[in-house]
Amino acid sequence: MQLRDYIIRRLIVLPILLLGVSIIVFSLTRIAGSPVGVYLSHEMSAAEVLQIEQRFNLDKPLPVQYFYWLKGVFQGDFGWSGVASAPVADVFPAKFAATMELSITSAIVAVALGLWLGTYAGVRRNKMPDHITRIVAVSAASLPLFWFGILLLIVFWANLGWFPVGRSTNDIWESIAHPTGFYIIDSILAGSLTALLDALWHLVLPSITLGFGGVAIIARMMRSSLIEELQQDYVDAARAKGLPERLVLKRHAKRNALVPTVTVIGLTIAFLMQGAIAAEIIFRWPGLGRWMADAVVRGDQATIMTYVLFTSVLFLLANLVVDIIYAKLDPRVRLGD
Amino acid sequence: MNFERRLELRPLVVTTAIGLLFATGAFAQDMRDTIVHGADEEPATLDPSQVEPGAGGEAVIFHVYDRLLTVGADSADLLPSLATEVPTRDNGLISEDGLTYTFPLREGVVFHDGTPFTADDVMYSWDRVIEMAMPEGASDILSDKIAEMRVVDDFTFEVTLNQIDASFLYSSVLPMTASIVSQDAVEANGGVAEGEPNEFLSGNPVGTGPYQLAGWNRTENLTIEVNDGYWGTPAFDNVRWEFGLDPDVRVLGLRAGEFDTVETDPSYIADLEGVEGVIVYGEGLLLEPLHIGFNLNIPEGVLPSGDTIPLDFFHDVRIRKAFNYAFDYNAFVNGALAGFGQVNPHYVPIGVFGYDPEAPIYDTQDLAEAERLFREAGVWDEGFTVSVVVESGSLFEIQCLILKDSIERLNPNFRINVAGVAEAVFDEALAQSPVEYAMWAKNGDPAADPSAYLETYAHPDGEWGEVHGFANGYADPEAVGALIDAIAQELDPATRADLIGEAQRVLYDDPMWLIGAQEGAVTAYRDTIKGMVIQPLWPRPSMNFALYDKQN
Repeated sequence: MQLRDYIIRRLIVLPILLLGVSIIVFSLTRIAGSPVGVYLSHEMSAAEVLQIEQRFNLDKPLPVQYFYWLKGVFQGDFGWSGVASAPVADVFPAKFAATMELSITSAIVAVALGLWLGTYAGVRRNKMPDHITRIVAVSAASLPLFWFGILLLIVFWANLGWFPVGRSTNDIWESIAHPTGFYIIDSILAGSLTALLDALWHLVLPSITLGFGGVAIIARMMRSSLIEELQQDYVDAARAKGLPERLVLKRHAKRNALVPTVTVIGLTIAFLMQGAIAAEIIFRWPGLGRWMADAVVRGDQATIMTYVLFTSVLFLLANLVVDIIYAKLDPRVRLGD
Repeated sequence: MNFERRLELRPLVVTTAIGLLFATGAFAQDMRDTIVHGADEEPATLDPSQVEPGAGGEAVIFHVYDRLLTVGADSADLLPSLATEVPTRDNGLISEDGLTYTFPLREGVVFHDGTPFTADDVMYSWDRVIEMAMPEGASDILSDKIAEMRVVDDFTFEVTLNQIDASFLYSSVLPMTASIVSQDAVEANGGVAEGEPNEFLSGNPVGTGPYQLAGWNRTENLTIEVNDGYWGTPAFDNVRWEFGLDPDVRVLGLRAGEFDTVETDPSYIADLEGVEGVIVYGEGLLLEPLHIGFNLNIPEGVLPSGDTIPLDFFHDVRIRKAFNYAFDYNAFVNGALAGFGQVNPHYVPIGVFGYDPEAPIYDTQDLAEAERLFREAGVWDEGFTVSVVVESGSLFEIQCLILKDSIERLNPNFRINVAGVAEAVFDEALAQSPVEYAMWAKNGDPAADPSAYLETYAHPDGEWGEVHGFANGYADPEAVGALIDAIAQELDPATRADLIGEAQRVLYDDPMWLIGAQEGAVTAYRDTIKGMVIQPLWPRPSMNFALYDKQN
């Protein structure tokens, strides 16, 4: 099958998959009962509850409610978030940008630190640096994210006061425009060094917390791949040719060791997206994760549905992109068969 | 210097003067600090017609809107606000028949949008609340009482009530629902529709208050800035509420200096006492009794499967009294509330008008009396299991656990199941009529007048009286109802106070609730905040930021 045909076929299937996902999630969220509770106060009469149900079409049969929701989605109306007290569509973009910014910086921490540690340990196999790296990696993999985050919070925020929590210093945030919602990019666009530093300063603790678990996995994978590569004949050949050890490592062994590590990096980034929920709660990061956690606890169905729909689109498109890249990289891969 | 030379210098002088003016203005602006408050709850709306009494939105509405009357920091006495006088019979602003109230209004006041304030805005604001009748709001505090409203002239407003109501000024004019909105702003942005929220006003308040809204990042923070054109004493600093914070994060934030003030309950005070730069404030009591409700109106087949009580279990006053005697008040007040609290009588909180300290009160655990009453009611040998529904992780849940411990210690055949549920589930459970649990725990809504409590929480035909079927339990429901009605209509303060004392005694003998305590008005703040004072009659957290001055 031609690549173009494959893409078209997948894009045609995409809305059908989304429809299926939305029906399943809509039904699942209703197993626990009506979501009206998120809109109620504790001393409402039955008549007042009915008024609220009518406002949000919750008095109608379930399929009709689903129809109203779907109709709203086509009109850009994703419902009213009881948690945010605002239309979901108004709140979502800013939250998404915040989560993506945190995930990306955490991924940078995880990848940069993981590769460096893995390489450092790999070339010093069974020596003290390797043992220390192993301890760090095992600790990072074993520490629960929420515990590690709270530890950093208590030490570096509450006691030492070195790093802030939240996403920004309010006055600095308000001093620049936010066309993209990504604080780092917005501060660069605005030419504000103060805002850029503020953005980075606020990212330190949540990025380290979130990225730390990923460091362990990447470092261990990089170490073992590198050790394996360093035992290969082509490395001996390179050394025999008189190539300096630095170049042997950089041009030959490390490059090949990266191939399996890259697969792990991909998985780690998915892990970071999941971990963002805990990190956002701990560090008061105004992203999708914290919003979703509140929405789940309070039964805010409009928010949950939008989040699931959005992540479904994201994953389906990501899968498509990965398939295409595989096909481009490896001609043996046959799409659609 | 000759004249020409002076003319040449004039532009320079003028420019310098203007520059200085702007510079000092900007400097003054820069001098204004921002008080950062770690809040417990984010507003669901900032529209007075939609705000729920006791909800987070009330605190913001309190600062951006004015009402006709207010209360100061030092006492519960009413003070003029947008009205220039408090109506009384003595000043002739309450008619001889006690039905008509006249409010002379302040001139020269402007809304945040620059439009002038007149009596039309008062009429419009109250009419709007009544017409919209939002289920979340408290429109009934106006609609149930007002027979007619009139604009006498631009600065005189008159109200006639359905019947004499001694609590009208406190229960209808003072609450946030009665805030005065800009008619022009509302009409330009969606107007008024019955039962339909006004999305503009929900997030864009246009009032006359000492602050105006500067920004609201949903789920994160909300900032109000000082209204420089305020008609009264201007506020010192801007204020930012920070939302979505667990109580322990708020406490840590205060310790770290990130917050200047926080909303906290007494159980966290121990973590803050003695911390450098932090001052603990604990004076007075909140007007929100922490109570456990007895349901006397349980339908067939709705109780949780483990419950063994008969449906008329709480019809028996001996059982209701036995629960009141069995509860460990000391553990609740000195444990959960860390000593910041006091037990109050049924159902008149300490601090509201007419509270009689001489009236009897359940404030000590008396297990022997509880056992005697349970035996007399015939449930001692057989025992019982009953569930109490409560919002999990709350102070109310602790109250339930203390009740469980108290009751189960009394007799191994007694069992209390504490059903801790999420807030939304709890709200939905309580919105059922009748409620499908035999017991539930929460706090009473704050009010400034005893009638608001007695009518809501004790009257057999009141809000909870109907839902819980109080008429099934009172020895003489008509007499209780008549007494509470008389309190509402008695205009002579001394006679009214006597009646309130009598009600406390009647409700002690025939309790419909178990009141654990009235929580202390307690908070903690940084020592950079000057002028801290808490008034329980102000919306929760009972703070008025306009009075606080942040001095770094």
